[in-house]
This record gives sequence, structure tokens and C-alpha cells, in this order.
Amino acid sequence: MKQSEDNFKILKRYLRVYIKMATNSFVVWLARRSAFIIFLIGKIVRYSFYFGFLIFLVKSTNGFAGYTGNQILFFTATYVLIDTLAQFLFRSVYSFRQLVVSGDLDLVLVKPINPLFRSLFGGADPVDLITLPAIIFVVVYIGSLLSPTLLHTTYYILLVINGLVISASFHIAVLSLGIITMEIDHTVMIYRDLVSMGRLPIDIYKEPFKSLLTFIVPVGVMVTIPAKALIGLVGPVGVVSSLIFGLALLFFSIKFWHYALKKYTSASS
Amino acid sequence: MGKYLKVLGISFQQEFAYKLNFIMWRVRNVMQVLVFFFLWSSVFQNPDANYFGYNKEKIIAYAFLLIFVRAITMSSRSVDVAGIISNGELSNLLLKPINFFKYWITRDISSKFLNIIFSFVEITFLFLILKPEIFIQTNFINIMLFVASLLIASLIFFSIAMLTSFVPFWIPEISWGAQFLVIVIFVEFLSGAFFPLDVFPTLVQNILKFTPFPYLVFVPIQTYLGSQNIHLNLLSLGIGAMWAVILLFITKMVWQKGLKVYEAVGR
Repeated sequence: MKQSEDNFKILKRYLRVYIKMATNSFVVWLARRSAFIIFLIGKIVRYSFYFGFLIFLVKSTNGFAGYTGNQILFFTATYVLIDTLAQFLFRSVYSFRQLVVSGDLDLVLVKPINPLFRSLFGGADPVDLITLPAIIFVVVYIGSLLSPTLLHTTYYILLVINGLVISASFHIAVLSLGIITMEIDHTVMIYRDLVSMGRLPIDIYKEPFKSLLTFIVPVGVMVTIPAKALIGLVGPVGVVSSLIFGLALLFFSIKFWHYALKKYTSASS
Repeated sequence: MGKYLKVLGISFQQEFAYKLNFIMWRVRNVMQVLVFFFLWSSVFQNPDANYFGYNKEKIIAYAFLLIFVRAITMSSRSVDVAGIISNGELSNLLLKPINFFKYWITRDISSKFLNIIFSFVEITFLFLILKPEIFIQTNFINIMLFVASLLIASLIFFSIAMLTSFVPFWIPEISWGAQFLVIVIFVEFLSGAFFPLDVFPTLVQNILKFTPFPYLVFVPIQTYLGSQNIHLNLLSLGIGAMWAVILLFITKMVWQKGLKVYEAVGR
């Protein structure tokens, strides 16, 4: 009883800290209003162009790679959803390098809060938050055209959460590499480019790229499998093994983070 | 002339100073082309299929040409101008006895040269891995028009990069924002670098022809593929050249206006 009360208190404290960090991040963005508007317009235009292109393409070809037009659109919508959620939650990873090279990570380490929590969730992105309702609407709308069962919808939701867990694991690995090599920008951009290959079902890629996207950077588990689950192409074994895979990845990425922290030299501080 | 040759040499060496940066930029370019290649390969699973005026050989040629055309038109150092305006470093350049535009064109040429070399390596590498059936243009006139269209495309991109870089003269805090919106979004999608513009309905294609974007990637590739007759190719080149002249003129005008409001913030 005492233990669960303590856990609840810790959870409440972390939630309070998260809200504070997110508010600070939003205030910083709002101080640069013109940049905020430009990035918001940019994101909306980008998604509109991409979906526009796909709609024209699947209309003329009646789908491809064995999938119907609506199924192809749903793969893309799922990618956009997971990517935007990850961008919204883990944006602070992009500015982590500065903390390491300046030695300011010391200030994070001495605070009575988990440094991984601060480094990973420290800068929620309001641009992504604003676009999220429209993206969720598109996912629900295209998903409904595929007439999924309740079970397949449940699988989908579970696997999207699992996709976020995998994305979190990658971001943790990028942070850890950042401590060891002081290099973040390229690693995270390469990760993003690889994940963006999940805009389309990974079945379209040939070897050796298919193996790379299945085993090395599991974009398939992260993006393609959730969409396939809603279509009804993934059974319970596939769902459970994807969840185990996601949790294992998270476990190893946290181990890697602890290892990296031991290598932190606090240079320049 | 001598001093610009020196700038060319130094710029070339600078590209090697940030090796990882350069390699990652190339890797990202190749990955974008890979998505294009696999997407269209799966659309054209049936080798006799014909969509949007392309057969499988031509769409694969489009994918490979993207690497080369992007290396020429879109590799540029001019995009750095935004940063030096917003942090005041532009003052250093203004004090030097060199022409601002010639300096950046020289730096662009050095960047393009290196990117072209790498694009050949990448094309060879991908060709060996993917072993695609590809369309090779043998008509000399098409090849010459293709070269001319690349020159025009480079001038258009230079002007667009400059114009977006001049935004910080008036709004210093959005040095990257303007480039994100225009270069990363509009140029990428409306130039044919992301997908062939033939995918759009005819009305949209016709509207796009009145903008400078298709002349960056789509028109050069169409010229190479010989998708249009020689008269239409010449007309496209003429419109592209007109856009290049108009944009260069606007660039010079905006530069002169920008200099009047430049405050060397940060210096």
C-alpha cells in the first residue's frame, strides 16, 4: 500500500515536471511567432502534398504491391501519426548535443529528476501538437474505410503505442551515442530518413534494404505492422512478438544510456 | 578571376573539412532516391504497364537521373547566406574586395563539382546492386538540351536560395524557416524531385508550368528522356531561361534593398 502511494507520488511529480517543461517549450516557440507560423504552414503543406500525390497515384494504378489504394493511404497515415507523435514527444533530443559539448548536462544530472526523462521529454513541440488532431482525424477516416473489427482496432492501437516505444528506444540510443561521440544531428536525421521509408509498406523494398528495415532499424515493426494489423494481416502471435520486441529494444536502449552516462566526461563545464 | 579560383580551391577543401557532414548529405539524397525507386518498381511490377506516360525503363531512368540532377541543381552553398546575415558575419564579406554574387556562385560550383563526382559513384553502386533495366538516351540533341536545362536549373536554384536567404535582412529570427518552407517543401514537391509531375491532373501541371519549380528537376529529366518533341523542349528551355533571368534580376534588387536595412546584428 505504502509502495503504491509512493509510486503515485513520483508519477504525479514527473507529470508536474513534464507539464512545466512543455509549457516552457511552448513559450519559447511563441516568442518566435513568425518562425512558428512558417513551420506550421510548412508541415501542413508537406502532408497535403504527400497525400495529394498518393491519392493521384493510387487512383490511376488502383493500388500496388498487393494493397488497395485505401490500404496504401492508411500505411502513410500511420507513418505520419507515429512520426508526428515521436516528434512532439522527443523533440529535445535534437538540441541535446549542445548540452553535452558545453558540459551543461551537469546541470541536468545534479537535479533530483531522472536525467533520461529530462533529456528525452524536455522540449515538446507545439507545431506537432497542433497538427496532431487533423492527423488523428485522417487516420480514423481512412481506417474506417477499411472496415476493421474491434479486435483489429485494438491490435492497431497497441501496436501504435509499441511503435512509439520503439521510437523512444531509438531516441534514447541517439542520446547515448551523443554522449559517447558528441554527434547527434546526423544520427537522428539518418534515423528519420530510415523511418520515413516506412511511409510505404516495407514489402515494396528489395534485399538488402528489406532486411535492414526489418532487423536493423525495425521500421516494419514500428510502422508497417500496426497498419497491417488493422487491415487484418497480423495475428495474435505477430502482435505479441512485436510487443516483446519493442520492450526488449527499450530495455537495451536504457542499458546503453546507463553505459553512455559512465563515459560522460563533463568537458567544458 | 584569380581570386575566384582561389575561392573555388578553398571551398573545395572546406567540403572535405566536414567529411561526415558531406557524406551524410549524400546518404540522405540516396535514401530519398531509393524510396522513389522501390515505390515505382512496385507500381510497375507488370513490365508492360504504362502509367502517366512512363514505362518501367523510363521511370527507373527517372530515379537514377534524380541523383545526378539533384547533385547539380540542388547542391549549393548559397543557402548559408541566411545564417551569415542573421549573425552579422556578412559584414566580414562586405569588407573584402570581391563581388558577393560571384563569390557565392564560385562556392556553389565547388559544391556541385564534388556532388557530381559522388553522384557518379552512387549511381554506379546502385546500378550494381539493383541491376535495373534502364532507358539510355542516345540522341545527341536531347543530351545537349539536357545539359543546357541543367545550367538554367542551377541559376534558378541559386536565385531561389539567395532570395530565401535574404529574408533575415528583415526578419532575422527566421533564417532557417524561410528556406524550410520554400526549398524543403515547395521546391522538393513541385520540382519533380519527389515524384514526376505527370502524376498531377493536367490542369495542375499547366499551372505549375508558369512557376519556376518544374524547371529545376522535372524539365531537365523530361528533356533527357525525350518525352516531348524538340519544339516543346525548346519552349520549356526558353521559359526556364526567362525564369532564370527574372529571378536573378529580383535577387539583385532584393539584395540592394536588403543592404540598406542591414544592421550587422551580433557584430
